[in-house]
Amino acid sequence: MFYLTLIFGPLFLAVVVYALFRNFEGVVKYIALALFAKMLAASIELYNALPAEGYLKLGSFLHVEAFNYVLTLQVDMLSVVMLILSSLLLILVTLSSWTMKNQAAYFSLLIMFSGAIFGVFMSTNLIWFFIFWELTLVPMFFLVGIWGAEQRVYAAVKFFLYTHVASMLILLAFYLLYAQTGFLDVTLIKEAAIATPALVWWLLFLGFAVKLPIFPFHTWLPDAHVQAPAPISVLLAGVLLKMGAYGMIRFVIELMPESSREYAIYMLILGLITAFFAGFLAIYQTHIKKMVAYSSISHMGLVMIAIATVSYEGLSAALYEMIGHAFIISPLFLIAGYLHHKTGSWQMGDMGGIVQRAPYVSAIFVLAGMAALGLPGTMGFIGEITILISAIKVNGAWIAVIALASLISAGYLIWTFRRVIYGEMSPVVASADFKMHKIEFSALVLFAGLIVLFGLYPQPIFDAANQAFAHFGGVQ
Amino acid sequence: MSSVTILLFWPFIGAVAAFILGKANKKMAFWAAEIVGIALFAASLMLWINYTVPISIDYTWFTFGETALPFGIYIDGLSIVMLLIATGLGLLDIHFAHDYMGEDNDQARYYAKVLFFIGGMILLVIAKDMIGMFVGWEFMGLASYLLISFWHTKSAPANAGMQAFLYTRFGDVFIFAAIGLLLYFVGTLDLVEINTMAKEGSIDHSVALVIALFIFVGAIGKSGQFPLYPWLMNAMEGPTTVSALIHGATMVNSGIYIVARLFDFYASTEALLVVANVAALSAFIGATSALVQREIKKVLAYSTMSHLSLAFVGLGVGSLAAGMTHLMNHAVFKALLFLAAGAVIFAAHHTKDLWRFGGLGKKLTLIAAVMAIGGLSLSGIPPFSGFFSKDAVLASAMVNPDTQGLVSVLATIAGLLSIAYIGRVWLLLFTGKPRDEALYESVKKPSFLWITLPLVIMALITLGLGLYQSEAAEFITGEPYVQPHVDGLLIGLFIGLGLLALIVFGLYYKGLKLTEKISNHPFLKIFHQLLFNGYYVEYMITWFSKNIIVASVAKAATWIDLHIIDAIVNGSVGLTQALFKRLKVTQTGLIGDYAGMMVAGLAALTILMILMEGA
Repeated sequence: MFYLTLIFGPLFLAVVVYALFRNFEGVVKYIALALFAKMLAASIELYNALPAEGYLKLGSFLHVEAFNYVLTLQVDMLSVVMLILSSLLLILVTLSSWTMKNQAAYFSLLIMFSGAIFGVFMSTNLIWFFIFWELTLVPMFFLVGIWGAEQRVYAAVKFFLYTHVASMLILLAFYLLYAQTGFLDVTLIKEAAIATPALVWWLLFLGFAVKLPIFPFHTWLPDAHVQAPAPISVLLAGVLLKMGAYGMIRFVIELMPESSREYAIYMLILGLITAFFAGFLAIYQTHIKKMVAYSSISHMGLVMIAIATVSYEGLSAALYEMIGHAFIISPLFLIAGYLHHKTGSWQMGDMGGIVQRAPYVSAIFVLAGMAALGLPGTMGFIGEITILISAIKVNGAWIAVIALASLISAGYLIWTFRRVIYGEMSPVVASADFKMHKIEFSALVLFAGLIVLFGLYPQPIFDAANQAFAHFGGVQ
Repeated sequence: MSSVTILLFWPFIGAVAAFILGKANKKMAFWAAEIVGIALFAASLMLWINYTVPISIDYTWFTFGETALPFGIYIDGLSIVMLLIATGLGLLDIHFAHDYMGEDNDQARYYAKVLFFIGGMILLVIAKDMIGMFVGWEFMGLASYLLISFWHTKSAPANAGMQAFLYTRFGDVFIFAAIGLLLYFVGTLDLVEINTMAKEGSIDHSVALVIALFIFVGAIGKSGQFPLYPWLMNAMEGPTTVSALIHGATMVNSGIYIVARLFDFYASTEALLVVANVAALSAFIGATSALVQREIKKVLAYSTMSHLSLAFVGLGVGSLAAGMTHLMNHAVFKALLFLAAGAVIFAAHHTKDLWRFGGLGKKLTLIAAVMAIGGLSLSGIPPFSGFFSKDAVLASAMVNPDTQGLVSVLATIAGLLSIAYIGRVWLLLFTGKPRDEALYESVKKPSFLWITLPLVIMALITLGLGLYQSEAAEFITGEPYVQPHVDGLLIGLFIGLGLLALIVFGLYYKGLKLTEKISNHPFLKIFHQLLFNGYYVEYMITWFSKNIIVASVAKAATWIDLHIIDAIVNGSVGLTQALFKRLKVTQTGLIGDYAGMMVAGLAALTILMILMEGA
C-alpha cells in the first residue's frame, strides 16, 4: 500500500497543498523538497530490496475483474534506476526553481508530476502505464504554458498535441496487444504470442520515438525546451525524454526482441540521422538554449543507436547514456536559462566574456559542455565509448563513424564557449547583474559533481544495468 | 607512498590545492605547484634509479555487459624518459613562472591548470592501455585549451584556444574510433600486448593498417603535423611558459610517444611509411615557414613542428632509437629556447616582434649565451645533443630503401635550415644596434634565481646529454644501439652551410631594408607570403569549416528542419483544423444523431476487430 501512496499520494497532495498554502507560497517548496527526498529514499530502498533477477512485486490494487484490470505495481532494476533518477532530478529541479514566481501553483504541479512519473515507472499494466504516461503531460503542459518564455502557449500546445498524437499510436498498440494475447500485464504478454508483431512493433516504436525524440519527430522539442522555464527544461530532458527511452526498452525491446532485431537497422539509421542532423542544427544555432536543445536531441540519437544493438551491452550503454545525458544537459539548460534571465537575450552574439562576471557558473558550463562532447573523466566519455564499443560489436566496423558525432559536438560547444564564456566582455554582459541564488547555484554544483563522480566511477550504474537486463529474454 | 601513486594522484590533488590556496593568497598557488613539481620529479627520478624491469599493474576500470575496460599502469624505459621530461621540464617551467607570471592576478587558475596538464601527460606515458592513454591525451587537450586561452579576455587567445581544441579534437576522434576497433578486431587495449601480437603476426594486416593510420591521425593533430599544424602557431597567444611546457617540451611529444609505444605494431604495416612521408613534408613546411616569421615565438613554434617531424621521420624510417633520442634532446633544448625567449620577452615588457629588438647581447649576456647553446643544439652542431640525434635520424632515413628519396631530401633540408632560422632569431635579438631605442632602454635584467637559473640548468643538460645518446637510446628501447652516422661529408656540410647561413642572414636582417624589398618584390613577395602564412593551410581549413560545414551543411540542415520537417508538422495541424471545420456540421446537438453515430462507430469498431482477429 505504501508504494501506491507514492503514486496517488502526490497526485492528491498537489491539490491539497495548492488549496492550503496558496497564500503561504514560501512553504510549498519545502514540502515539495521533503516529498521528493522521501521518494528518493523509497527508491533507494527498492534498489536494495530487489531480487538478483526479475521483478519485485509491490502489490496489486484496484481490481476490475471483468476486464482483468488490475493496477499491478512491480519494479525491476530498470524501473528502479529510473525512479532514482527521476526523484533525484526532481530534487535538483526544486533547488533550481528556488526563486521561481508563483510558487504554490508551480510546486503543486511539480508534485503532481512526481506522482505521475512514479506511476509510469512502477506499473507494468498497460492501461495504468498509459494513464500515468498521459498524466505526466498535464502538469508539463501548464508548467511550460504558464512559466515559459515569450511563445510559451504555442510551445505548450505543440508539445501537448505532438506527444499526445504519438500516445495514440501507443494506445492502439496496447489495444492490439490486449486483443491478441488477452493480457494487460507486460510480464504476462512477454510469454504470450503476438499475432501481428510487425504492426505492434512499428506502432510502439513510432509512439516512443516521438518522446525520445528521433528524427523526423523531433521538432516539438526545441520549441518546448526553449520556451519552458530552465528547471522545466531539465525535467523535460532529464525525465520526459527518458520516459521515451524507457518505453522503447521496456515495450519495444523487452517485449519483442525478435522483431526489434529484425527492424534494428531502421532504429540504427534513424538514430544516426538524429545524432548527426541535430548536431548540424546545433552548429548553426545562435540561440543559446536552442543550441543546447539540439545537442540534447543529438545525444538521444546516440541512445537510440545503443538501443538499436538489442544487446546487453548496448542496453547497458543506453541506460548509462540516459543517466549521463540527464546530468550533463541539465546544467547546460539551467545556465542557458540563467544567462537569458540575466542578459535579457537569447543570442550568443549579445553575450561574450561571461566568465569575467560569473566565473564559477561559467566553469560549470564549460565542464558540462566538455562532458557533452565526451571528455574523459566525465559521464559523457563513458557513455560514448560504451555505445561505440557495443555498436561496433553488433554492426561491425563501419559504425565507428559515430565517433564523428563527438567532433560535431566539440564544434558547436567549443564555439559556444568562445562566443559566450570567453572573449571581450559585451556591453550587455558588462551592464547585467549576475547574482545567483545560493541554492540554485548548489544545484549546479551537484550536477557537476555527479558528472565527474560517475564519470570516474561508472561501475555502480553498469552493475545496475547488468542486473536490469539480465532477465530480458532474447537479448544477446 | 610509492612513486607511482605520487605520479598518478598528486598532480590532480595539487591542482585543487593550488586553486584553493591561490584564491586565498596569490603566492601560495605558486608554492603549492612548486612543491608538487618537486615531488613529481623526485618520484620520476626514483623510478629511474630503481629501474630494473618494467613495472606493470593491471586494473579494470569498469565492466559493462561482458566487456571490461582496463586501466593499467606500465612503466618501462620509454615511459621513464618521458616522465623525466614531463616532470623535470615541468618543474623548471613552474619555477620560471614565479616571475614570468608574477604580475598576473589569476595565479590560482594558472597553476591549477599547469598541474592538471602535467598530470595528464604523466597519465599518458604510464598508461598500459589505450584507454588510459586516451584519458591522459584528452586531459592534456583540455588543459592546453584552457592554458592557451588563459588570457581569455582578449579575442586572440580565446580564438587560439578554440582552434587548438578543435584541431586536436579532429585527430582525437580517430583515436576514439580506434579504441572501439581495437577492442573488436584485436581483442585487447593493452599497448604491450598489441605490440606482441603484431610481432607474432596475429593481427589481420588491413585491420592493423587502418587502426595504425587512425591513431596516427590523432598524432597528427596533437603533434602538429601536416595538415593539422596551424593551431600550434596560434597557440603562441598563451603565456610563454605555457608555450614552453606544452608546445615545446611535452604535449606535442605525445603523438610521437604513442607511435613509439606502438612501434612494433606500426612496423608490422605500411603505416610507418605514411608516418615518414607525412613527417618529412611537415619538417619541410615547418623549417621553411620558420625562416620568415616576425614574431619570436612563431619561429620557435614552426621550428617545433619541424623538429617533431624529424623525430617522427626517425620512427618512420624504422629507427625507434633515433626518433626517441631526437625527441628527448629536442624537448630539452626547445624548452630552453622557449624559456630563453620568454626571458627576453619578459625583460622587454611582453614585446614579441623580432624587428624591435637588437643589441640585447650587452644587457642580457647570460641569456644570450644559454640561448646560443640551445640554438646550436637545434642547428645540429656537434658536440651539442641535437647533432647526434639529428644525424642518426638522417642516417637512418638514407639507409632505408623506402625513404632514401623524398623523405631523406626533405628531412635533410629541414635539418639544414634549422641553423638559418634560429641563427636569424639570435642575431636579431642580441647583435647589431637596437632598432627600438626606447624599448632597449627599458629592458631590465631579470632575476637570476627565478628566470636565469632554470635556463642555465637546461643549457647544462643540453651540453651533457650529447655524451649519453647511446645509453639513453638503449634505456628507451631496451636493445643495444649503435648510432648510425652520415659520413663526415655531411658534418662538414652542416658546419659550412650553417656558417654561410649565419653570415647571409646576419647581413640580411641587420639591414631591414633588404627584407622590405623582398616582401615588396612582386615575384618574391608571393613566396614570402606563402611561407609567412604557413602555406595557407589554416586559411583552407578555416574556409572549409566556415563555408562548407557551417554555411552549407549546417545551414541546409536548419533549412530542411524548418521548412520541411517542421512545416509538415504545422501543416498537418492546419489540415486537421480545416477538417474539424468541415466536421462541425456533424455536431447537430441532437441526441438522436449522436446515438446513430455511436452505433455506426461501434459497428465499425466491431468489424475492425473481427477483421483483425482473422488476421
